[in-house]
Amino acid sequence: KNISDFSLNVTDCTQVVVPEEVFFTVAAAGILENLLVLIAVIRNKNLHLPMYFFICSLAVSDMLGSLYKTLENIFIILCKMGYLTRRGDFEKKLDDAMDSMFILSLLGSIFSLLAIAADRYITIFYALRYHNIMTLRRALVILAVIWTFCAGSSIAIALFSYEAATVIPFTILFPLMMFFILCLYVHMFLLARSHAKKIASLPTSTVHQRTNMKGAITLTIFLGVFLCCWAPFVLHILLARFCPHNPYCACYMSIFHVNGTLIMCNAIIDPMIFAFRSPELRSTFKKMFCWAR
Amino acid sequence: MSALRLISNRTSQQALSNSDYTWEYEYYEYGPVSFEGLKAHKYSIVIGFWVGLAVFVIFMFFVLTLLTKTGAPHQDNAEPSEKRLCMNSFVADFGRPLESERVFSRQMAEESRSLFHFCINEVEHLDKTKQTQKGPGLESNIHFQEAPRSSGMFEEDLSCLTKFNIPNFVNTEQNSSLGEDDLLISEPPIILESKSSHHILD
Repeated sequence: KNISDFSLNVTDCTQVVVPEEVFFTVAAAGILENLLVLIAVIRNKNLHLPMYFFICSLAVSDMLGSLYKTLENIFIILCKMGYLTRRGDFEKKLDDAMDSMFILSLLGSIFSLLAIAADRYITIFYALRYHNIMTLRRALVILAVIWTFCAGSSIAIALFSYEAATVIPFTILFPLMMFFILCLYVHMFLLARSHAKKIASLPTSTVHQRTNMKGAITLTIFLGVFLCCWAPFVLHILLARFCPHNPYCACYMSIFHVNGTLIMCNAIIDPMIFAFRSPELRSTFKKMFCWAR
Repeated sequence: MSALRLISNRTSQQALSNSDYTWEYEYYEYGPVSFEGLKAHKYSIVIGFWVGLAVFVIFMFFVLTLLTKTGAPHQDNAEPSEKRLCMNSFVADFGRPLESERVFSRQMAEESRSLFHFCINEVEHLDKTKQTQKGPGLESNIHFQEAPRSSGMFEEDLSCLTKFNIPNFVNTEQNSSLGEDDLLISEPPIILESKSSHHILD
């Protein structure tokens, strides 16, 4: 059977194509924003703290994700224009390298979010010992371990992607981490709520019940954004592995590029909900821009 | 991801050689998929997935909102909660090096003791005029410099305490006892700047 002969029915799900301009704009915005976060943290000595290092790690993984998409688009354009052959060894290696970059970005994102949640958890529940538990050196060691592990796994997954054994742990890791992060945040949330109750019992406090909603909204935004941006792609991997010929699965897989764009949108949204909530970082930005002008 | 194309190539076309690795933008390598005789809508997985995701997120939101209203008790003992209450209700701005040197030249135990006394005073003074109590309370016990904008801060802090925003604060290395639960405030978080204190305590 000739592999290049694709006779498709009229009712087929055609590939949903995202315009290249949109792709590049979203990717460029993601890269720039995260680069700004990195620069701001590096330049301001007050931000040399474990918490901001974890946020930087998240920014780096978001940048890698956007970078991957940009490079992939560039190479596909080059292929279409004929500068690169489609079946060369060099292209194959390049493609493997880029796949591993993408998996690195995904794993880095997950572990950075986990590190941020764990850091906040320790800050609340072990507050008195926080500075002994989470020293700067330990934070850097943790980050080094995380990134080494992610790099190793991404190379292994990219090389052995034809094994089912790599796809399944990869897709199990995602909901597990999500669940664990959710538990950490819910525990912190419960504490804050009981704290608020104690304040409400004070005679002169003017507590607005409405303000407790803000915590629920914040948590939902955190986890909702992560879920909505990464879950479509993870589902795609699962379906591609287990039911590539099923028409329903094929229709889902036809929106692959939309899923990729979602991941890049995650790179744009993450700094807003993590980094830019800190007034110190915001003021560093303002200083940077005012100085640039 | 082209790794996935490799998977499909190897699984679906066993007889073909491995040189069928292509840089395709589309996913038609999966081979012709028959779309005849579909019982449900062809995008049913897409729709089902997104609806399920939306339902899950909304469910999570409602569970969290319910947690704010009903009581899943997380009873700490009174003392740490008082401490936390107090930590949140003052703003220690160490922006001026002179004051922070004075502060950090004291013993740490003395500091935490005086802080605790401050906290107890703080709780007792909560029903009095808030703004006027805050200033003397701070200065008499701890000599922390109040930020110039702290006049409206106490009211704001109390209401901030009830907001749970995911902690977003900056803490200095040595002020572990001071950084306890200012996490619950995110606007504005308590920023303890102590540039000079770093080299004092190093």
